[in-house]
Amino acid sequence: MTSSPRTANPELNAIRSVGSLGLDAVRGTGALALVAARTVLGLPRLERRELTRALVQFGYDSLPLAMATAALAGVIVVLQSGLYIQRFGARAFLGWASGYGVLWEFGPLLLGLIMSARIGARNAAELATMQVGGQIEGLRGIGLDPFAILVAPRVVAMELSMLAMSTFTFLVAILFESVAALFTLDLPLRTFFGTFSHMLSPLDIAGGVVKTGVFGLAISLVSTAVGLSARGGAQAVGRAAASAVVQSCAAIFVLDFLLTLLLAGWMA
Amino acid sequence: MNRVLSFFGAPVVFLVRTARAGAREGISWRESMVQLHELGGRSVWLVMSGMAFFGAVLVTIANSQARRFVGNVAVLGPAYFELLVRELGPVVSALLTASRAGAGHAAELSTMSVNEQVEALEMSAGDPYSDLVAPRIVAGVLGVPLLSTLGTVAATLAAVAVAGVVFGVDGRAFMDPRYVDGWDLLVAALKAGACGLYIPLAAAVAGLRARGGAEAVGAATTEGVVTASLGCLLIDFAVSLAFHLLRL
Repeated sequence: MTSSPRTANPELNAIRSVGSLGLDAVRGTGALALVAARTVLGLPRLERRELTRALVQFGYDSLPLAMATAALAGVIVVLQSGLYIQRFGARAFLGWASGYGVLWEFGPLLLGLIMSARIGARNAAELATMQVGGQIEGLRGIGLDPFAILVAPRVVAMELSMLAMSTFTFLVAILFESVAALFTLDLPLRTFFGTFSHMLSPLDIAGGVVKTGVFGLAISLVSTAVGLSARGGAQAVGRAAASAVVQSCAAIFVLDFLLTLLLAGWMA
Repeated sequence: MNRVLSFFGAPVVFLVRTARAGAREGISWRESMVQLHELGGRSVWLVMSGMAFFGAVLVTIANSQARRFVGNVAVLGPAYFELLVRELGPVVSALLTASRAGAGHAAELSTMSVNEQVEALEMSAGDPYSDLVAPRIVAGVLGVPLLSTLGTVAATLAAVAVAGVVFGVDGRAFMDPRYVDGWDLLVAALKAGACGLYIPLAAAVAGLRARGGAEAVGAATTEGVVTASLGCLLIDFAVSLAFHLLRL
């Protein structure tokens, strides 16, 4: 690298790095759009058995982890909102404030981050292993569409699992919140659920579910795109798994901000 | 039961072995700095941009909460700032670091153990604990508190900007450090330090255990990231609960 005369000029180097950053962004968006389009095209010829397997793997097998995360998130939210609820003397509002926090923010966000770590990394690793091992080329060679067999079932299963799990996790989180409020702040369950049901509307639950669904779509598309674009040897598999997690996390944060702004502006 | 025992037991065993190996063989500071760059330098943009978006979301949520029952978002501000410094700054930064650095460490270590490079290291009288694990732990303990400080700063700046530009509230009134005291900083430091200790350990446990081919690398990476994230949440919960019970 250092011997090349073109890299000697620092200004050119800066321009070059900006350019390669831009190219990477365009390439990433293109890959994502391509995967999304091919998945939609592959939907009618979706492999049923693969879909069932993915549903069990993504949904059912992730339930314990999702429940544990939800329980922890619920207790953490109560512990932290207890701090400022007591300060303003508004203990009765806890049911509403912590329910709102979990439904809108912590529930979808934590579920998204944990699932991107668990499913996103696994998707990318599996597809990268197949890509590196030439198995995807092999599928194409015998006239099968890898998107209909490998990608579309994963995307559909991820979407269904995330939507189904979101309501479960919200339920668990809110139950743990009410119990934590009972033990740490001596707040009766009746008061907790009273303000909770009184001040929250079904729209608030819908907001959380929409967010979780969008995160699920982002995780499955990003991780499959990263896995399919892996090139190289065994190291490429590990690198694909790691970069799928990172890119899904980044996507989740950006989408979280945009959706909060959009939904809060639209519903309030 | 077995899985629960190994979830809590394996990192402790690894920590003890690493401490003994580190005391016996010494820790390479050079390697620790390399790992600090790997963990810190390469996660810093992810953590800072993630936390900036998170801070912006926090203000948006505070605004819609405030409109329902107090009317003015600035009233909730100081409490939110304390919340950010004490709880959310450390834990969300640690989660992001866990996904970036945990995945990197687990992928690297599992590739090494799958390719029998770890055995080669042992054959040449090296100790994988002091040569591979210890520098990563040093980097984590130093790096995660730094990252979470930077992340909290990024979140605060983004929150101030959004409060000012979108909601027309004086940003300094919103992010008022009135309630932040030494205890909050202590809680934050404890959480960040403990997560920094745990993330490399979880990644090393997953990575050094990997056996098999390329699939084992992917599986180990996933396991490293999941245990590291879950461990960070558990640490956050334990520290919060301890300080809550002590009424600090």
